[in-house]
Amino acid sequence: MNEYEFTLTFTLRSTGVDVDDLVERLGDAGCEDAAIGVGQRGRLALSFIREAESAAKAVLSGIADVKRAISDATLIEASPDLVGLTDVAELLHVTRQNVRKLILDCEAVAPAPVHEGRPTIWHLAKVLGWLREEKNYPIEEDLAELAQTTMQINLAVGSKDIDHAAQSEILALLA
Amino acid sequence: MSRRRHPDPHIEKALRYAESQGWRVEVLGPRAHGWGKMYCPHNDPDCRCGEFCITVIWGTPKRPENHARQIRRVVDGCLRRAGETDDEQEG
Repeated sequence: MNEYEFTLTFTLRSTGVDVDDLVERLGDAGCEDAAIGVGQRGRLALSFIREAESAAKAVLSGIADVKRAISDATLIEASPDLVGLTDVAELLHVTRQNVRKLILDCEAVAPAPVHEGRPTIWHLAKVLGWLREEKNYPIEEDLAELAQTTMQINLAVGSKDIDHAAQSEILALLA
Repeated sequence: MSRRRHPDPHIEKALRYAESQGWRVEVLGPRAHGWGKMYCPHNDPDCRCGEFCITVIWGTPKRPENHARQIRRVVDGCLRRAGETDDEQEG
């Protein structure tokens, strides 16, 4: 069994419900391995430290537990997936300067971001894969596996907005 | 300190740390899971804690050490972000 650390953020459709009651339901459903944030109306965030056989089992069981407790909770994000330099530094236990050097000020072509701007955002899985392949940088397998899982989940969340008619033309261009 | 102590020493220590950083700990009435809640001192729309501006404290989590770690992380996350507003700007 490994320990996986991840955060799930949900929206709640019914805002009139007593938060303390929701918390009891989450406790009943087995979410006591998460710190629960209730500081924003209509939102719920759970920061888990969960033991499981795999990252996928850890994260998916977390989502299932929340859904069991609160059926109208809708997942909006699993993290760590979308990350900036500061987040990467924290996850690799190095300084931000260090990560900056590794990723931006190096001769290899930097991993492609999801968004270039302030801040620039990457999929963590892509950064870890790139560090491992291009830089021979040691990456913990658990973290790599977790990043793959959260990326797949967030892609699935985004796919709910897909317009299939528009997508077929776009995908042809991206091929 | 006038509030009730948390029954677990690891969690109580983490709560004292949160209080030393200005967080307010509110103890709930008796229930099966939730023991209380802690409130970020910068609880305003600009605060970077987001949802964790109000964080639930469990009464008897299976791994109290982990819960204590989570509480500290919420507090440190807030401090880190507070001192870092321009940091991400350079990308």
